[in-house]
Amino acid sequence: MKRLFKWLMLLTVLMLAVLVWRERVHLAAFPGIIGSFTAKEYCSCRYVARMPEDYCRGYVKQWLPATLADDPLARRVSATGLGVTRSAVWLGEREGCRLLTQEDRLASDR
Amino acid sequence: MPRLSCLFLLLCSSLALGAERWPSPQWPVQLADSTAAQALQAYAFPARDDRTRTGIRSDALLVVRDGVIVHEAYAGATEASTPHLIWSASKSLFACVLARAADQGLLRLDDPLARHYAPMQKHPQVRIRDVLNWASGLDWQEEYEFAPLRSSVVAMLYTRGRADMGAFAADHPQLHAPGTHFRYSSGDSNLLAAMLRERLGERHADYPWQALFEPLGIRSATWERDASGSFIASSYVYLTARDLARIGLLMQRDGRWGEAQLLPADWVRFMRTPFVGEGVSPGGGVPGGHWWLNRTPAAQPRPWPDAPEDTFAALGHWGQGLYVMPSEGLVVVRYADDREPGFDANRLLALARAAYGRQAQP
Repeated sequence: MKRLFKWLMLLTVLMLAVLVWRERVHLAAFPGIIGSFTAKEYCSCRYVARMPEDYCRGYVKQWLPATLADDPLARRVSATGLGVTRSAVWLGEREGCRLLTQEDRLASDR
Repeated sequence: MPRLSCLFLLLCSSLALGAERWPSPQWPVQLADSTAAQALQAYAFPARDDRTRTGIRSDALLVVRDGVIVHEAYAGATEASTPHLIWSASKSLFACVLARAADQGLLRLDDPLARHYAPMQKHPQVRIRDVLNWASGLDWQEEYEFAPLRSSVVAMLYTRGRADMGAFAADHPQLHAPGTHFRYSSGDSNLLAAMLRERLGERHADYPWQALFEPLGIRSATWERDASGSFIASSYVYLTARDLARIGLLMQRDGRWGEAQLLPADWVRFMRTPFVGEGVSPGGGVPGGHWWLNRTPAAQPRPWPDAPEDTFAALGHWGQGLYVMPSEGLVVVRYADDREPGFDANRLLALARAAYGRQAQP
């Protein structure tokens, strides 16, 4: 009985490992979703649709918690969810807001 | 002689009545307040609960009859001057932008995308018309509310694809032969956007304004782009309700604006022709050329049975809709923040038709 249990455990762990490996690309990207969604949609809500702050905080609320930092002078919004921080910035009347990519962040650090 | 001049005046005024009205520069407004109009208003705007975000949550409702605003209402923080996000209704606007490019001889419906856009050389058979039917055949996963992990659209907009959405979409493998199988895809729309960027080069950034928005007198438009500079054709147009109705009027009048035929007749016909092939579910939407139709290819139930068969629409997430009913002379814009299902477009169209259609009682 004990032996069977051990085998079952091992099998489960193996199956999980295969699953994680198969989905590794999706899993690696997943934690970024909340921060990205919150930063991008809050930026557009505030600076494109020009909605009030309270309204926009409610508008971007998801089932997973996120923290939000808005720099109104730079019109730059950062949001953190699942431990990942993403930023969006307002670029102009026609272009609205854009999520920053890895390269953008490196360029602005320089 | 006085009788003759009376007759002349009568003739002139009836000619004026028969003349087309256009929003140039401003929309003519003639609001009504019939019982039927109140029923429409009551359905679109029930008591709103911003804490629980349940039920029907319209932000705006605008009805235009024969070029005149007859119904206009806003709720929540949305006002007449608010450029509201239209989400996937952007796709139908992008089809109009491409139709303008076709009118200027820059591309044709039967062109393979690969002719204008190098990353599509991986899929050399896929034509513009296939992609407009959401039938590129690429293995795309649009679902996101229930399967966020594998969702192609979430990855495109927010994570792996956000730097270059066209290239991200082009990297998907071919699942079906192009043009045979409908599979709703935001990736398809952004392939078209990336193609237009490559085709136009430096002119690209202002093109939707020059080609479409400015001729129509649209002043409120924002169209967000990805990091490569391509328009996010799938999702990110912001417009006031009054400006979105201008696109509706253009489409109601077969791509003509005043004296100018802005969209080629064959493109307008294509946009309003139902796709024939696999993958269209009965009871689901009927895809045309990046527009949603009420005309089914076979004898199937229509998506909006109480609206005329010639009805077509641009539809977006959380309840955004631009509905055109040419035979009723009506354009309906609805903006919303519906966070749960429950809103019934058929009911809205039936009520709008009863209040303002050709048979409406004043």
